[in-house]
Amino acid sequence: MPKFDVSKRDLERLVGKTFSVEEWEDLFLYAKCELDDVWEENGEIYFKADSKDTNRPDLWSAEGIARQIRFALGFQKGLPKYEIEKSDVVVYVDEKLKDIRPYGVYAIVEGLNIDEEALRQMINLQEKVALTFGRRRREVAIGIFDFDKVKPPIYYRAAEKTEKFVPLGYDEEMTLEEILEKHEKGREYGHLIKDKPYYPLLVDSEGKVLSMPPVINSETTGRVTTETKNVFVDITGWDLNKVMLALNVVVTALAERGGKIKSVKVVYPDFEIETPDLTPKEFEVELDYIRKLAGLELSDGEIKELLERMMYEVELENRRAKLRYPAFRDDIMHARDVLEDVLIAYGYNEIEPEEPKLAVQGRGDKFIEFEDAVRELMVGFGLQEVMTFNLTNREAQYDRMNLPCGEHQEECRDYFNHPPAELVEIENPISPKWSALRNWLIPSLLDFLSQNTHEEYPQKLFEVGKATLIDESRETKTVSESKLAVALAHPRVTFTEAKEILEGVMRHLGFEYELEEAEHPSFIPGRVGKIIVNGETIGVIGEIHPAVLENWGIEMPVAAFELFLAPLYTEPYL
Amino acid sequence: MELSYPEKLTLIKLAELKRAKVEELVKESGLEQVAVMRALLGLQAKGLAKLHERSERVVKLTETGMKYAQIGLPEWRALKVLREKGKATLDDLKDVLSEDELKPIVGLLRREGWANVRKEDGKLVLEITEKGREASERPIDKALKLLAERGEVPVKEIEKLVPVNELKRRKIGEEDVITERVAEITEKGEELVKKGLELKKEVSVLTPELIKSGKWREVEFRKFDIKAPVRRIYPGKKQPYRAFLDKIRRRLIEMGFIEMTVDSLIETQFWNFDALFQPQNHPAREWTDTYQLKYPKVGSLPDEELVARVKAAHEHGGDTGSRGWGYVWSPERAMLLMPRAHGTALDARQLAKGVEIPGKYFTIQRVFRPDVLDRTHLIEFNQIDGFVVGEDLNFRHLLGILKRFAVEIAGAKKVKFLPDYYPFTEPSVQMSAYHPELGWVEFGGAGIFREEMTKALGIDVPVIAWGIGIDRLAMFKLGIDDIRYLFSYDLRWLREARLVW
Repeated sequence: MPKFDVSKRDLERLVGKTFSVEEWEDLFLYAKCELDDVWEENGEIYFKADSKDTNRPDLWSAEGIARQIRFALGFQKGLPKYEIEKSDVVVYVDEKLKDIRPYGVYAIVEGLNIDEEALRQMINLQEKVALTFGRRRREVAIGIFDFDKVKPPIYYRAAEKTEKFVPLGYDEEMTLEEILEKHEKGREYGHLIKDKPYYPLLVDSEGKVLSMPPVINSETTGRVTTETKNVFVDITGWDLNKVMLALNVVVTALAERGGKIKSVKVVYPDFEIETPDLTPKEFEVELDYIRKLAGLELSDGEIKELLERMMYEVELENRRAKLRYPAFRDDIMHARDVLEDVLIAYGYNEIEPEEPKLAVQGRGDKFIEFEDAVRELMVGFGLQEVMTFNLTNREAQYDRMNLPCGEHQEECRDYFNHPPAELVEIENPISPKWSALRNWLIPSLLDFLSQNTHEEYPQKLFEVGKATLIDESRETKTVSESKLAVALAHPRVTFTEAKEILEGVMRHLGFEYELEEAEHPSFIPGRVGKIIVNGETIGVIGEIHPAVLENWGIEMPVAAFELFLAPLYTEPYL
Repeated sequence: MELSYPEKLTLIKLAELKRAKVEELVKESGLEQVAVMRALLGLQAKGLAKLHERSERVVKLTETGMKYAQIGLPEWRALKVLREKGKATLDDLKDVLSEDELKPIVGLLRREGWANVRKEDGKLVLEITEKGREASERPIDKALKLLAERGEVPVKEIEKLVPVNELKRRKIGEEDVITERVAEITEKGEELVKKGLELKKEVSVLTPELIKSGKWREVEFRKFDIKAPVRRIYPGKKQPYRAFLDKIRRRLIEMGFIEMTVDSLIETQFWNFDALFQPQNHPAREWTDTYQLKYPKVGSLPDEELVARVKAAHEHGGDTGSRGWGYVWSPERAMLLMPRAHGTALDARQLAKGVEIPGKYFTIQRVFRPDVLDRTHLIEFNQIDGFVVGEDLNFRHLLGILKRFAVEIAGAKKVKFLPDYYPFTEPSVQMSAYHPELGWVEFGGAGIFREEMTKALGIDVPVIAWGIGIDRLAMFKLGIDDIRYLFSYDLRWLREARLVW
């Protein structure tokens, strides 16, 4: 899902070998990435990487991709190793942050040599992790600071809204409240803290503000450039495991650039931890499970070798594999996740596909076959089939049909289910035009006719489609009924022509029907009726009222009918 | 030799006459002038007759001439009065001459020497002469008679009597050029007639009467210009995209898949997400990516045991061998209603309902996504997906199933597989198929349903889930580059679209 740009030269520098673009296309697959695009810019080749796995933030930057490929190619084996040295830096976390944004974890990375490309990857990783893995900073927000400008110890505390600092991109102090209102990032992420009594603030021992998580860094310390050598990483959120993982992803990526990781002591009101913690995680799988589901003849040794190429440390014991895997991963929940790594290391395209031989028989749904028979019949009457959208809006279903009921559900009337009084509506539509599911079909056909007034008449249409109705007895409180709708438009069309077709349908489906005069404002009075089969009203037929035609901008008489198909269905033997 | 009815008739008449004007043939055959002309041209083309054309200057009788032929020339009418009375004033002639004729009459009578003129009491008096009393038919009278008889007379003939100019001056005649067409039968024509021509009446329409009466045997049918353009008509037709889906549906049934259906386009989040092991904080479940209903808002959950198993799988893995997502699962969230976002929801429903093992299932479902409608995005579309369930299924089978789809449905010879990610499958695959005309097309995705999902739904064997993306294929097949045409509101396009088979 996350997509980002990487430079070929940078990747090759990190992997330690050069490849052709075609070779890169295949290599990307080891890192669960698709090479989406290739282009040249200032003499450099760039790739658009499309990372497939939303649970593998470690693969969302050039460093992560290169690391996985280095292992997959056997340049390194087993667990990636990172040295951590303890620093004497302490961060104190304020008790009042408990209900505001409780967790902060930190690290220092020293001795960096950041060029333009490295800087670009750092920013990209930070953004992607906070956006996708961190759910738009709600669960993870990341700050990276120039450590040389910071005087420890550092305090993560709850601040008054009137406190001030200079936010990134500005040259004057603003209050925290002002930042939420005026700063671009404040407006984008302010909702995450806006209602809290205090706002979170990260400050150093001199009271210098590093950032207001999860919104914005300060201009003074929060700007990392190619001059920066040592950085301080800050991750905040609501779940300690999650922020720890994000911290591991970020620091190990920086370490891939030659940085030295130093840990920080974080003091909470009731406990303290040393972060980051890069202790490998453990998992155990049965080798037969892997073999069976892979469908591949793999020896224990082969499985071990494949896993080592996916950065696992493997210990074989009793037909089981005891695994240790890097602390920047947190996606292994089940042996299946390990299986996929085995298959990716093996190469999907190296596996011979095999069609399963299953003694099964296909069968189509009988009601759908009935619908198909009805569609054949309608085509036989010379009607053009249309397929229109179920999404529509209240105005199209009622107001334009001369059945005004305004904004309120309660004011709509039921016209023997054509339409019913109730409409299924969407709370968060993209457009008001597509904000409801249709509850009858004739408006869809009129919509169609209204878009084709320049076309040659006669225009004779039908659709077999769904109308979605309220049904409290069902799990979804709704039912989408299959319906047949017909609309005929030409200068001499009358009720009679529609009735001829209706009668043809009934005769060919073997049903007797009756028409009963009805009152319905969508149709011309005296030229509208209920369609009744076995004493049950199943549809409506009539000449569309000129007021309705005018609403749709149709200057041609229209006769139409619509009915439920289920009452006309009898299960066939065949 | 094929002769039309008018050709045959004209040739027969011409054989009798040997040589004849077109007018004569019209009279003799009873055909229209045009028909005779067309027949003669046809006969000439076949070498059966020759058509000669001759132009001639003629004098034609004018309307005035026609009047004079009936009531006499003015000088004769005046002379008649003089013969009765001996002499007459101009007033006396008013009864027989019109105003126009009165003026030049004195000059006319004097030039002919039929009367003398003198003045009596200041009035002109005409008196008949001896010549007047004995006057008889003059050349101009003969010319008028000839013209009156024939309407038009060759200039040469008239000039023997009077100069044409004289007739023109007196407005009796005017000059014209006429073309005379004369047909002549050739030897070949005569031979053909001698051999005998079967003469049948020609009709343009075969009527029921002709059939009933058996008279169709006695008529010939007028030849049609089969190359002439005709009106454009439109048959009743299935919607092309739907016809394409019908075809894929039939193919899937042939391949052994059982069709799944569902009673509503609305789904609970439970079946759309939770039963598929998609955690409740998954980005795809956010407000911007998932529709919610305003009315009705919430549905109900299936039986408690199933819900408990799904909850356990999410929270800690339950008995699925997984550690789960590690959060507190909310039934209220799962009850929220939405328009169904993917066909995979039906897989979950079917698995929970119970399946045949081994079994192959599919559905073609209308699904909804919060997107903007434009030439590359639809707001609702059809999805084709399903699953294969069986005791010993493995990853190679998954690739085999996908490859079969590519061959059967996309006509692909080559496929390639890429690692992919779906919350509900592990391992997961994306397939690209090499279409003969489109090149590499992303054609489908598949994976083995996670055990966290299948075990919670009560299935203990591997289930391979698959979905195929046929929109690009459909667009290619239907010759469109705007995806909205799959649900076309353009009647002309629907009318003109080629049949799908």
